[in-house]
Amino acid sequence: MDSISMEQDALTFNNVSAGYKQRRVLDSVSFRVKEGEFVSLIGPNGCGKSTLLKTAAALLKPLSGTVELFGQDVQRIKPAVRASLLGVVPQKIDSPMAFTVSQIVMNGRISSMGRWGTPSSLDHDLVERSMIYTDVLGLRDRFFSELSGGEQQRVALAMVLAQEPRIIMLDESISHLDINHRQEVLQILMNLNREKRMTILLVSHDLTLSAGISDRFLLMEAGTLVKAGTPAEVLDPELLSRVYNCDLTVQQDPYTGYLQVSGAIESLRRRRKLEKSVHVIAGGGSGIELYRRLLIEGYEVTTGVLNRLDSDAEAARALNIPAVLEQPFSPVGAAAIAKAMEMISSADAVVLSQVPFGSGNLVNLQLAEAAIQRGKMVLLAAGIGERDYTEGKAAVDFAARLKRAGALNWNSIHELMTQLQQQPHH
Amino acid sequence: MGMKGSPICADNSFTGKGKVRAGLRIALFLAAFPLLLALSLLLGPSGIGIPDLQSPSGSAILSLRFSRLLMGMMTGAALSASGVVFQALLRNPLAEPYVLGVSGGAGLGATLTILAGSGLLSTLGLPVVAFVSAVLTLMVVYGIASQGSSGQPSVYSLILSGVIVSSICSSIVMFLVSTASVEGMHNVIWWMLGSLQPVSAGQQLLSAGLIGTALGGIWLLSPQLNALALGREMAHYQGLRADAVIVIGLLFATLLAATAVSLSGMIGFVGLIVPHVMRAMFGPDHRKLVPLAALGGGTFLVLCDAVARTLLAPVEIPVGVVTALAGGPFFLIILQRRMQQAWIA
Repeated sequence: MDSISMEQDALTFNNVSAGYKQRRVLDSVSFRVKEGEFVSLIGPNGCGKSTLLKTAAALLKPLSGTVELFGQDVQRIKPAVRASLLGVVPQKIDSPMAFTVSQIVMNGRISSMGRWGTPSSLDHDLVERSMIYTDVLGLRDRFFSELSGGEQQRVALAMVLAQEPRIIMLDESISHLDINHRQEVLQILMNLNREKRMTILLVSHDLTLSAGISDRFLLMEAGTLVKAGTPAEVLDPELLSRVYNCDLTVQQDPYTGYLQVSGAIESLRRRRKLEKSVHVIAGGGSGIELYRRLLIEGYEVTTGVLNRLDSDAEAARALNIPAVLEQPFSPVGAAAIAKAMEMISSADAVVLSQVPFGSGNLVNLQLAEAAIQRGKMVLLAAGIGERDYTEGKAAVDFAARLKRAGALNWNSIHELMTQLQQQPHH
Repeated sequence: MGMKGSPICADNSFTGKGKVRAGLRIALFLAAFPLLLALSLLLGPSGIGIPDLQSPSGSAILSLRFSRLLMGMMTGAALSASGVVFQALLRNPLAEPYVLGVSGGAGLGATLTILAGSGLLSTLGLPVVAFVSAVLTLMVVYGIASQGSSGQPSVYSLILSGVIVSSICSSIVMFLVSTASVEGMHNVIWWMLGSLQPVSAGQQLLSAGLIGTALGGIWLLSPQLNALALGREMAHYQGLRADAVIVIGLLFATLLAATAVSLSGMIGFVGLIVPHVMRAMFGPDHRKLVPLAALGGGTFLVLCDAVARTLLAPVEIPVGVVTALAGGPFFLIILQRRMQQAWIA
């Protein structure tokens, strides 16, 4: 155990798929983290970062593939030994019973203490040192449950430090901290990393902060690892914008050389003044995300023709979006078509969602055709062939005609937003 | 205040004082409980006094009171320690043997045994049947609660299905009682009301062995119970075999509750409230809490029994009535003053 070469892998994922009974979360993830590396794991909410940590810590058994901790299969390592190799600071911990801070931190020593859980003087020293390190010594006789979220996070870190692991994984643990303690905790992690060669795997949403301290980034998207590399390699604005599905820019600070990732709040504010309007042709729930994003970006939104009982109709009502509705189980009438045409005439662009087409709503494609004839920008969700339930694939023919007339295809909402942005204001 | 570079001994005064105070409380308790037990030996239908040991009836009375004291100590310790474990493992202040259906299942098993007949089976077999049916009930509760969840059931679904299974068990008991012979009905109802009437020496010995084993096992688990206060996931990260600890803890707690039920019937309240009071007085550290809660629960039940046989003498009040009526207000006062130190939810 002691004769470990400098280049040893601290953590290795070999083709790991993992998840829960009905839901696979990780899909063939492979990567390695070398001992002494500081790695940030990034990616949008729900992309599988926490599942990855749980799998690394043997809390979840991989469905296939293996996870190795310092060269040993993590599923076969004895729990107490595993705790001496790997410490995890979860997103949040809570204790319903009134344990004091020092009692909580002492839990970090549990695997090293004797049968009766009587702490030795070494245990006491380590606990005290960890509490000093994370600046919670002054809280040691307070009840853990009474502390603020940030204080609890520092106590949790103290507990894991008392465990003396060789790799620490933190699951968004610093997001609850105030700016002072966030800097401080990151400084602690960097010191541990540099002085004790402790390996750090940090799940982070603060890309800028992580870029300044990490050796490497792992970028995840929907359960897969899409990119691993230096911060400069991974923080590619185009890649990030695609993965996070929003506009992101990456700039280098001229003084420090740090990379800065910033969102598009500025441009959002600017866009609000444009007062452009978009008519959405949707149905069956395919419009909800479009409505949401278009409203957030500041567009005026109209929609229709929708079946009165459609979930998109309900969403439109809830979001105060003007909508043309038609009675269920009946063909779209002339009045509705006229009303929809009126909306389209005053719109700057027409967006077609990923709605399935049947004979009942084919009229909506006629509306799109009319829009294009009036010089409107028309954006069509790609892959209509898979959603065409009309006889003789009428919708596919229609779509081809629209494309010849100048309609554009969109694949992701991010792409759609970019296309709408490029449209000249009239 | 000391930060990173300063000496470690910064400020120990509060810890010191707090520790002395906690130690003092424990010392007081350890001194008080034998006195309280002695008091219960002196309490009888004719008031306080030492029975005349020269007369045969006097010594018989004292020996009867002494065996009731033993019954009370065993039952109270078992119920209280069982409650401590259920509350720790489920991390919920409402958890106790009754809520999870464990007592109900044990009661059903015991009722069946009592109705089935007399002899060896109903005395020595009673604890065993009670334990087996309690474990089966717990498995049913756990199984129902796990449905639809991925892996571990949530505490809420456990408690909910526990309450439901518990009431099904008591309905079955009611049904059995209503169809039983007069004698069987009398036996079961008398037992269900809860009483510390001494059982056979053999059953007492067996129960003492079971309760002692389970208490020892739980005491050994107490550092792990402390770590599980932060939840199964965190305990796992700290190197515990968390699921194994939970299963073993549940089995020991079930054994305690089932043995208590087979000894003295359905006595409520002790398993829920004594753990809370002990936590309020002595803190949540299970290394201290487990033995103190066992002593506290036993002493409490013995005192309640003394009151039960004295208050309306010669009529004896069911001890379960006294535990709730007399203990309730008393414990509420303590909890109100010290709830913060017991449980923060």
